[in-house]
Amino acid sequence: MEEKKYRSKYKHVGQPYDRKDAQEKVTGQAIYAYDLEFPGMLHARCLLSPYARARIVSIDTSAAKALPGVRAVLTGEDSDILVGLYMQDKRVLSKGETRYHGDVVAAVAAEDEETAEHAVSLIKVEYEPLVPVHDVDEALEGKTLVHEDINDLKHYVGVFFPQKDSNIASWNKSKKGDLETAFSESDLVVENEFSLPAVAHVPMETHVAIVQADPYSNKLKIWTSAQSPFAIRQIMADSFGISETDVEVHIPYVGGGFGGKAGIHLEPLATLLSKAAGGAPVKVRATREQEFNQLPTRAGMRGRIKTSVNNDGTITGMQATYDWDSGAYADYGVNVGKTAVYSGIGPYRVENASIDSKTIYTNKVFSTAYRGFGHLETHWTIERQIDILSQKLGIDPYEFRMKNLLEPGDKTMSGEVLTVSSGSPKDCLTAVVKEIGWTGRKSEEEREEEWKTGKVRGKGFAMLQKAPAMPANTATSVIMQMNGDGHVKMMIGAVDFGQGAITALAQIAAQELDIPIEHIEISAEIDTRANPYDWNTVASKLIFLGGNAVIKASHEMLRKMKDVAGQALRTDPENLLHANGEIYHRHDPTRRLTYKDVALGYMYPNGTGIGGPLIASGSSMADGLTNLHPETGQGNPAAVWTFGAHAVEIEVDVETGNVTVLKVASAFDIGQVINEKLVYGQICGGVLQGLGSAVLEGYKFNSDVQLMNPSFTDNKIPTMKDIPLEIVPIYIENPQHNGPYGARGVGEHPMISVPSAIGNAVYDALGINFHVLPLSPEALVLGIQSGKKSILCTDVDCLPGLH
Amino acid sequence: MISRFQYFKPHNLSDAVQYLEKEDNSYVLAGGTDLMILLRRNLINAEHIVDIKAIPELSALEYSNSTGLTIGAGVVVNRLVDSEIVKTNYPALQQAAASLASFQLRNRATAVGNICNASPGADLPPSLLVYDALVNITGPHGDRQVPVDQFFTGVKRTVLQRGELVVSLQLPEPGEGDRSIYLRQTRLRGHDLATVGVASRIKPNGKVAIGICAVAPTPLRLFALEDKINERGLNKETIDWAGEEINAHIRPISDVRSSALYRLQMASVLLKRGLLNLIGEEE
Repeated sequence: MEEKKYRSKYKHVGQPYDRKDAQEKVTGQAIYAYDLEFPGMLHARCLLSPYARARIVSIDTSAAKALPGVRAVLTGEDSDILVGLYMQDKRVLSKGETRYHGDVVAAVAAEDEETAEHAVSLIKVEYEPLVPVHDVDEALEGKTLVHEDINDLKHYVGVFFPQKDSNIASWNKSKKGDLETAFSESDLVVENEFSLPAVAHVPMETHVAIVQADPYSNKLKIWTSAQSPFAIRQIMADSFGISETDVEVHIPYVGGGFGGKAGIHLEPLATLLSKAAGGAPVKVRATREQEFNQLPTRAGMRGRIKTSVNNDGTITGMQATYDWDSGAYADYGVNVGKTAVYSGIGPYRVENASIDSKTIYTNKVFSTAYRGFGHLETHWTIERQIDILSQKLGIDPYEFRMKNLLEPGDKTMSGEVLTVSSGSPKDCLTAVVKEIGWTGRKSEEEREEEWKTGKVRGKGFAMLQKAPAMPANTATSVIMQMNGDGHVKMMIGAVDFGQGAITALAQIAAQELDIPIEHIEISAEIDTRANPYDWNTVASKLIFLGGNAVIKASHEMLRKMKDVAGQALRTDPENLLHANGEIYHRHDPTRRLTYKDVALGYMYPNGTGIGGPLIASGSSMADGLTNLHPETGQGNPAAVWTFGAHAVEIEVDVETGNVTVLKVASAFDIGQVINEKLVYGQICGGVLQGLGSAVLEGYKFNSDVQLMNPSFTDNKIPTMKDIPLEIVPIYIENPQHNGPYGARGVGEHPMISVPSAIGNAVYDALGINFHVLPLSPEALVLGIQSGKKSILCTDVDCLPGLH
Repeated sequence: MISRFQYFKPHNLSDAVQYLEKEDNSYVLAGGTDLMILLRRNLINAEHIVDIKAIPELSALEYSNSTGLTIGAGVVVNRLVDSEIVKTNYPALQQAAASLASFQLRNRATAVGNICNASPGADLPPSLLVYDALVNITGPHGDRQVPVDQFFTGVKRTVLQRGELVVSLQLPEPGEGDRSIYLRQTRLRGHDLATVGVASRIKPNGKVAIGICAVAPTPLRLFALEDKINERGLNKETIDWAGEEINAHIRPISDVRSSALYRLQMASVLLKRGLLNLIGEEE
């Protein structure tokens, strides 16, 4: 892979600096929660429900308690604490009924892990297995309720809408225009269904939490591998009925998150165990298997979409229904569902549209945020539908998209009007389509000719869009202090869990203050007692909000420096400029001071000091956002859209179904590159992760809703050998007027629509429309052999023609 | 790990055999790449672990014209991958070795362990089968030699009796003009178990041998199919026919890794591709 040369117009912003944490990480010096040990620390193991749904008849923990070295044994009888981000629906320990194969039935803290595990094996539980809710259809029938108490669950009112006596954790809606007329008066109406399974995040470091609960006060000390220190603080305070300040959260280096470490996970369990063990620190560490079957996933999803078009290629109406299989708990799943109602028709101009998005409880492993936050899933629906529409209309898929893509002046689904500052979907599509040399779809004759060689090539592309899914009042902040050597120490509340936050923000600070990036000291480690507030490190929002906070803090720092320098140089601060770590008089550059001279206060030759240590801060809050109207979904939820497109060329071995990805071209209108190396890394990583969803990954459940692939043996993710032969990143820089240097976020976007582009390329290659992921070698071969042109399900049982 | 076990590291074979015979719930540790998984998932209750890596004669990887190739029970898979002798004389075995798991695992996993674990999908057996490998076994009642096609008795089951230990594998010298190839289908290019693996060999006398994994409770040598192919004479038409015929000789199941239907298809494709490659008529 050859890196494209990118030239920035700025001295620091845009430069391909090495990550600030690179050396520490590659030399093994970086410390993770996994590594931490404390004097007297206990280790926990959990007993998980062996059934997707069962009544706990009795639990006998006496033998476990009697085992030497065991310090605490807990069951659901010991605590009624409920947790949840938006719905308080999850017991820390099951009581009465288990809701998925992975619910914690009992937990042990002991002097070492082996003893804890031995104790767990001594716990005797009598279960009465109950018939589980298998899928969204059964859940929607509502004969069995996963949460009998759904009507009473405490939730975020007005934003999420649990339905009475049902399995619907939230039903979010949006609508505009007159869909009925559009459908009845248009030339063509096409209806399709697309689906995809749950997949795992697979961070290199599994979830780990250590909690020390002070037995003499409400104080909780938490060390955890997490993306959201301040959200953990707030939810822990809420769930345990204590004040936020009682909770201190420490985040050391984090070995990957991808959304799976947003919110709260093992911290409440570790807290209960620490309390039960007299306040000893307790470490709860998920095994890799628990990472798959206990910790949450990306939800499975089924999208049903109906679109009306006119023969000239104008989309006139779109109706989408998204059913999210969120498993046993709502977690971030309800917010993923909510996001679909304002982003779920893609970056298209559609006057008449409606979206119904239901986050649904079943007895599967529960769901949470995952890179892209529902957009990979909704775009799988939209971008395959758009391709099928272009097939039916006989219009080139590039022309068809170009005719309908959003432009300045157009309205998004929620009624927000785009401007020239919003970025350009068309620029992205045009760039990638050019890069892969698109000349139109393959003809049937060309396909047949190629088929004889056993290998068929295909090209495809897909659009994507995403704005941060965040509350209207989302905020972040930065504190800057100057060290005695004129370097700047910067503290943020967001977590760098691999995305490069500290490096990118340091570059913005270096640019503003005009000092070398090496002079910015910034740590990835977070301590909520010291670091300033950040809402959550999610949603690709940090460059936008955090970057602006850094700029504000830098301005304040410069103003304060110039105030002191003005006195020292006996001039109005207005006359002072700064460059290269120095402050100088604009008309007489010989009158100058270094930053170092004023860092801790300026000292006159006679020893008198003025000023004092330089400290500055910057806060940044989403501006002008609103909640969505509960019925129409109208409002302004999007602080900043990032549009993008992928185009791929693939080769399919028609006998084995193996897909070789020859080339991926990916363009994103990111406004301004902040760090070329980091954005390139994000694109390659996201494309590969998206490729996993496209051709490989997926949870498999048996008829008892037990996970059949709870380990790396059968739950695979792409490896080095699976990287596409060529990835071409394209940075489009139409500036965002209120973004730092015009920049927009791009952390999640590279993953979105990779499956859609591959699915469209598979159509080009094989002439078959696949409606379900993954497009595994087996799925492709069975699809080919079925002789069908439209594949809705790739299980052998769904393709009876094969037998 | 629940198992609390005695760890014993003997320095000669007889100590190992004696210990294995004497103690209940004894398990042999060579590379440990399969044993550790069983322990970690609490699938076995090991009371004794006998580590055979310190027994000198087990580390032999030797070739001579009279005895062929000897692979000691301590020989790790990467040694087969890196061996010029193996690459030149037993190409299918070298290819199978190179495809097994990941580089790191191949540095620990042993070839003999791969057969003793007796997984239906193990990568090395198809190649060992087509080379008529012999399994040298020692035990409390002396030594014996079992052809590898009689070594497997079921899923994760072998002919080994209590106290018995595989000392080595022995592959007869292939002879001038011998050709072989191992092809496997997996779910991704990286580290994966074989969905199906097929070793094809053409012997110097022109006769074919076919070994296959992941299509039956044990790895199989397809003698009946070989006879039919040899009767017809090896050419493109026969290979096309064999691609169909192979499905009558295997009994794959559907599991989380693959449907039986896809395994049948892949057995057919991999056999055809392997044989065509060997006769120089690649598709």
